[in-house]
Amino acid sequence: MTPTLLEIDQLSEGYIILITGLLIVFGALLLLSIFFKYGVPILLYVYKIITKGRDRKIKDISVAADEKFTGEIAAAIATAIHLYLHEKHDTENAILTIKQARKLYSPWSSKIYGTQNRL
Amino acid sequence: MKKILIIFGVLSLLIFIRPALGLNSVQTNNESITIEQTDEESSARFIDEAIGGIKQFYFYTGFANATSGHLLMIVIGIVFIYLGIKFDYEPLLLIPIGAGVIIGNIPFVAGYQTGIYETGSVLNYLYFGVVKGIYPPLIFLGIGAMTDFSSLIANPKLMLLGAAAQIGVFATFIGALYLGFNLPEAGAIGIIGGADGPTAIFLSSKLANGVNVLADGTVVKNLIGPIAIAAYSYMALVPVIQPPLMRLLISKEDRKIRMKPPRAVSQKEKMLFPIIALILTTFISPSALPLLGMLFFGNLLKESGRTERLAETARTKLIDIVTILLGVTVGASTQADIFITKDSMLIFGLGAISFVIATMGGLLFARFMNLFLKGDDRINPLIGAAGVSAVPDSARVVHAEALKSDPHNYLLMHAMAPNVAGVIGSAIAAGIILSFLG
Repeated sequence: MTPTLLEIDQLSEGYIILITGLLIVFGALLLLSIFFKYGVPILLYVYKIITKGRDRKIKDISVAADEKFTGEIAAAIATAIHLYLHEKHDTENAILTIKQARKLYSPWSSKIYGTQNRL
Repeated sequence: MKKILIIFGVLSLLIFIRPALGLNSVQTNNESITIEQTDEESSARFIDEAIGGIKQFYFYTGFANATSGHLLMIVIGIVFIYLGIKFDYEPLLLIPIGAGVIIGNIPFVAGYQTGIYETGSVLNYLYFGVVKGIYPPLIFLGIGAMTDFSSLIANPKLMLLGAAAQIGVFATFIGALYLGFNLPEAGAIGIIGGADGPTAIFLSSKLANGVNVLADGTVVKNLIGPIAIAAYSYMALVPVIQPPLMRLLISKEDRKIRMKPPRAVSQKEKMLFPIIALILTTFISPSALPLLGMLFFGNLLKESGRTERLAETARTKLIDIVTILLGVTVGASTQADIFITKDSMLIFGLGAISFVIATMGGLLFARFMNLFLKGDDRINPLIGAAGVSAVPDSARVVHAEALKSDPHNYLLMHAMAPNVAGVIGSAIAAGIILSFLG
């Protein structure tokens, strides 16, 4: 008798948690998204008004010219810069030969200790 | 594979030979060995003692104490490692956990502070961080310092997808109740549906830790091991679980929807996000404070632009250290005699269902949202599946799936938004469950 009663009690409490829990999760994220949709622009606008005196120069840049500047273009530029900055090859002689090439060994020019070879 | 078979052949041979050698009764032999020190012939005594010593040594070895459960778990550990290496399913988690499973299932004689559940053992001290929920917030700190919330800031409505996927948490919770778990245990099991390992460990360490006593006097079971293993293994299996559901629920045309690129987000907005989100979410769900507080703190370190050193440490060294400790101790907590139970099997079943429900919740809610959106604003319903957390795997799965129906539709950035919202959502859900049942 008691176990079944207990079980029913648990289940009903479970459903209460289910409903309220889902509502709260939705509510919280909804609140967050609404705040970011409307609240943050207002905050930024207020900030802009407060600090208006200092931002004069930015005003001179016309926004119309930047309309086509999407995140994709920014990503492309960023990728290009990244690739450029991270490909610091040493330029090496591209001629391949099977002949014994005469080299003077010096640790300063050693391939083992080169910047590209991280041990 | 061959080598594994050979090793296991040898192991099992050793164990099966044991009865044939008559070495099975552990306790009786121990006593008879030490007492026989009277004036017998010295050479015979020496041999006797040597054999006795060897026998005693044998009883302390893994071969004498192994049970089928240990061997099964060791095999599972090896499978985890294999999956991690071969298929690249979350190797950073599966390999530490797999190694941990092996470590935790080496058979030993209890009472010498060896095992993870023995007070005073080294493993027990490391496991402390799991039992007390110390590791998860530290992991969240690192995740915060890694995560770029800009796609979420650019398109805040995608946050709802992260909430929709939390239906998996609560559905599993009800399912666990129906299967006869009590409320705190069911709550801890439910969070598997949040698809977030740290959150799952955090909640189960608070609710199903084997210490708390319920109102009717029963002690809750210790389910941290099974829940953590279930959560992490299904997270690793996201690339297997999600695509069929996506194909089932989303029509071909919908899969081809292209979303407009997210707008550029200013640095000010990025800085405001962690502060505002921290205050809002923790005011709503204070119990999730350790998780959400650290998550947004980590993000603030990243976005403030002044604390790059701290952010760098949080997202590399710190999170690596904690992941190592967490993975190996969670793995080791699967000691066979505690882990192989009916409950663990049920938890694994429920975990699979919860992932399915969470994915479906996200996908269907995305379709539902599309009813209200027009033209350019429409979202590709596939990104709903990223609402289950599992960062960043589920976003990658969405991206790959969208590429299959349209090779030029890159959804990764869009999918990251519900993905990180899912992390926030499941932490809030954990907080709610904790405040109800803790």
